[in-house]
Amino acid sequence: MSARRLGLAIAVATAIACGGGQTRLNLFSTNWEDDGGASIARVWQRVGKATIPPSVDVVIGVAGHADKMIGLPLAGGSKWTFAHPLDTRPVVAGAVVVGSGGGEAFALDASSGRVIWRRPTGQIALLGAGDDGAVTVVAFRDAGGSGSVLLAVTHDGQVVRQIETSMSLGAPAVIDRLAFVPWAGQYVSVVDLLNGDEMARVTLRDETSRAWTEGGSLWFGGAGFTRFDEHIRDASKGKASWATVKIPTLPGQPKLMRSANAPVGALADAQDKVRVYARPKGTDAGISIEDGRWYGTYFRLAMGFDASAAKLGWVHLNGADFVGAAAAPGGIVLCDEQGKVTELDARTGGILSEQDLGESVKACVVNVDAQPASGTPSGAKTLAGQLADAVLADDPQLVAMQTVLLRDLAEAADESATKALVDLASDPRTSPELLPEARRALAARRNGATFMEAALARHYDFLKDVLRAPPVAPIAQALGAMKDRSAAPLLATHLLDPADSDEDVMQAAAALAIVGGQDELPTMRQFFGMYRATADDDDVAAAVVSVGKALLALDGPAGRARVDAAVKDAMTVEYARDRLGELVAAASPAPVDAGKKK
Amino acid sequence: MRVISASALVVALALLPSAASAQNDRRPAGAKTAETPRSTPLPRDTIKRLKGGDPAQVKAALDDVRMAAKDGSPAVPAIAEVLRAGLSPMLTQAAIETLGDTESEGASEVLGSYSRHRNVVLRRAAVLALSRTRGAVATKALRASLSDPDAAVRATAATALGGMAAKDAVSDLFVALDHKVAEAAASIGQLCAAQECDRLASKLGSVPFDVVTSGLDQVLFRGGKDVSDDLKVKIVGRVRELGTGEANRFLREVQGKWPLAWSQRVRQAIDQAVLATSSSPGSGGGQ
Repeated sequence: MSARRLGLAIAVATAIACGGGQTRLNLFSTNWEDDGGASIARVWQRVGKATIPPSVDVVIGVAGHADKMIGLPLAGGSKWTFAHPLDTRPVVAGAVVVGSGGGEAFALDASSGRVIWRRPTGQIALLGAGDDGAVTVVAFRDAGGSGSVLLAVTHDGQVVRQIETSMSLGAPAVIDRLAFVPWAGQYVSVVDLLNGDEMARVTLRDETSRAWTEGGSLWFGGAGFTRFDEHIRDASKGKASWATVKIPTLPGQPKLMRSANAPVGALADAQDKVRVYARPKGTDAGISIEDGRWYGTYFRLAMGFDASAAKLGWVHLNGADFVGAAAAPGGIVLCDEQGKVTELDARTGGILSEQDLGESVKACVVNVDAQPASGTPSGAKTLAGQLADAVLADDPQLVAMQTVLLRDLAEAADESATKALVDLASDPRTSPELLPEARRALAARRNGATFMEAALARHYDFLKDVLRAPPVAPIAQALGAMKDRSAAPLLATHLLDPADSDEDVMQAAAALAIVGGQDELPTMRQFFGMYRATADDDDVAAAVVSVGKALLALDGPAGRARVDAAVKDAMTVEYARDRLGELVAAASPAPVDAGKKK
Repeated sequence: MRVISASALVVALALLPSAASAQNDRRPAGAKTAETPRSTPLPRDTIKRLKGGDPAQVKAALDDVRMAAKDGSPAVPAIAEVLRAGLSPMLTQAAIETLGDTESEGASEVLGSYSRHRNVVLRRAAVLALSRTRGAVATKALRASLSDPDAAVRATAATALGGMAAKDAVSDLFVALDHKVAEAAASIGQLCAAQECDRLASKLGSVPFDVVTSGLDQVLFRGGKDVSDDLKVKIVGRVRELGTGEANRFLREVQGKWPLAWSQRVRQAIDQAVLATSSSPGSGGGQ
C-alpha cells in the first residue's frame, strides 16, 4: 500500500470511527441500463419543489504563496482572511467555502471565514463541492489520479458518507441530503447520503462534469447548462431543459466551464484568464441566458457578447489581468490579479462598482447567486470608443484578441472608429500583427475624413522624433473613395516625401488622380518629372501613371505635351511608358499646340 | 574627429574650398588641401546637346560642363530644365553632381527638389551639391535634410551647413546634435555665437567627448574677432575641468597646432590646462 493510499485509509478509518456509513457496491456502476428517466423523475418528484437557498455572494482571493485566502462578501460585511496552505483552488458551495491543502480539507463560513469543519484527507485533491446548509459533499481526485473520493461532512464535522470509486467524479451539488454527482463526463447519479444508495441516475447528452445550485435551481453543466426540472426525465433523449452559448472562434479557445474532472491548481493559469462566463436562467419555456449576454475575458480585457448572435456588445480594458469572474443578473463580477473586484453592467460594460481585496492575488473565485449587478454604469463609452481603447492598448499579450476586436472596430459606423484606426495605423508601437489589418480597415472607411487629414498633415521628421510616416496609403484610398477634394493639398505633399513607402506614394497619386485640382498641378508636374525615369519599382511607376492621368485631365495642352513627351522618351521607365501610352491613346487627339512643354 | 562618420569625411573633403576660407587654412585633423581644378571652356553646343534628349549626348554635355567647373554656370538653367523634365537615374546623378561643380546658386532650387528624392543615392548627391551651390535656397533645403530618414544625408547636411556660414541654422544643428547627428558639432563650432559656443561646451559630459571637441576645435581656431579670447579661455577651462586623459590629449593637440602669432593669453591657458591634466589616467604621461 502506498503512502498515499495509507493516508486515505487512515482518513477513511477516521471517517468510519466518526460514524460514517459504508456504501453500496453498485454505485457508479457502468453495468446500468437507462431506465428511461424513471428514477430521476422520482427524485424530481421528491425534491423538485424544495426551496434551494441562495449561495453566498462572495469573492475569494488566493493570496500570499497560495497559503492565504481573502474573502470579500459582496452583499456587505467585513473582509476576512484565512491562513492555510492550498493545493487546489477553493470552491464556494452554498454558504461555505471548501478548500484543501496541507493534508486536510476544510469548510469555512463564506461570509465570515469561520471554520465550519476540517478533516484530514492526505494528498487527495479537491475537485468540487456542494452544500445544502447542513451537509457538505466534497469530491476529490484520489492520490493516484485514477479514481475519486466523495466525502459528505455535516456542518458539525461528522463524516456521514465516504465513497471511493474508480470512476472520474466531477463537482457535486446537494439538495435535501441528496448528492447529485456528475461522473464519467455524461452521468449524474443521485446518492442518498443517509444510506449511500444511488437512487437515480440520468444520462446527459453533452459533456457534463459539474452540478451546482444557482438562482433557486439545480444545474448540471460542462459544455452547456441542463436544468434539473420536470424535463430531466427525458434527458437521455436529448429533451432536457438545456441551453448553451454560441462562442465564436476566439483566441485561446476559451471555455464556458473548466472540467471538474481534474483538480484546478491553487494558482491562476491561462485558462482562468481566458474564459467565458454565462449565467443560465430558468424560464417558463425552459432556460435562457441571463440578460441575453455571455462574457469573455482575455487577460486585461472583458467583453460582453449578445447571447443569440455572439455579437460583441462591449469591451472593457482593465489595468490588470482578470483571473476570476462570475456572471450575475444584470452584469458580471470580475476579479483581477491586483485584487480589484469590478462589477460591469451587462448592457454597456460600464463600471457599476469597484471593490478591493486589499492585496494582489494569485487566483480568484467569484460566486454570485442572488445579488444582481445594479446601479448606474459609469465610464461607459460607445462601443467604438471601447474598441479603440482595447485595440490601442500597448500590451503584447492582447494582440491576438485585438486582431479580433479590430474587425468589430472596422464595422463600427461612428467617426471615432476611424480616428482609432488612424491612431492604430500611425502608432509605431502597434504590433506588426495588427498593422496590416488596421490599414485594411482604414482604407475601407468612408467617414472621419478630418481625422485622416490631420494624420496626413504629419510627416516623418527625424529631428522632431516623428519616426513613422502616417498611414498614407490606406488614408489615400479612403479619401479617394470619398472624393474628398479638401484632402488634395495634403496628399500632394506626400508625393514628394521620401520617408513614405512606395505603396503610400502609389495610393496618394491614385487619390490625387481623383481629387486633385489646379492647386496640386505644380507638385504633380514636379513628381512626374522626377520619377518618370527614375521610378525604381512598379508602385512608384504606377504613381507616375496616376499623376500622368491627372495631368492629362487638369493641365490642358501643357499636360498633354508633358505626357506625350514621356511616352516618346526611352528613358521613361517601361511600366509607366506603356501605361501612359495607353492613357494618351485613349484620350482625345492632342491639341494643336501640344508638344510644347510647359 | 574620430567619431565622425566616413560619409561626413567625404563631405568635409568636398567642402574644402569653402572650409579653407572659413578657417584661414586651419582645419581639423584629417582634412586635406584640394587643388583648385583647372576649368575647360564650355563647348558652344553644350546646351543644345543637353536638351537634345539623346542620353549619350546629354552625358557628354554634362561632362563638358563639369570640366568647365564654375565656367559651366551658363548651362545651369538647361541642366535644371532637363532634370525637372526627368532623366535616367545615372544621368540624374551626373546632372546633380555637375550642378554642384558649377557652384552656381541658381542650381539650388532644382537640387533642393532632388534632395527629397526617394532614391537615397540621389538625395545624398543633391545634398552634397547643395553644399557647393549655397545660397538661401540651399540653406533651407539642407536644414530640411537634417530631418531626412537617412543618417548619411543628415550627416552630410549638417556638415554642409557648417561650411556655408548658415548661422541661422545653429538652432537646428543643436537639435540634430541632440539626436546624435555627430557631424552637427563641428558645424556648430564653425557657426556659433559666443552663447551658442558656450552651450556646445556645456555638452561635455553628456555628449561623447570626441563629438563635442570636434566642434570646440573649430571654435578655438576661428580667427579674427569672430570669437573672443575670453570665450576660448573659457572653453579651454571647460575641457581642463574634465581632468581626463582624453581631455589632456585634446588639449595637447590644440597646443601643438596653436599658431605662434595668435593670442598668448589663450596659449597660456592651453599650456596650463595641458599641465593640469597631464597626470590624468590615460593622458600619455604629460607634455
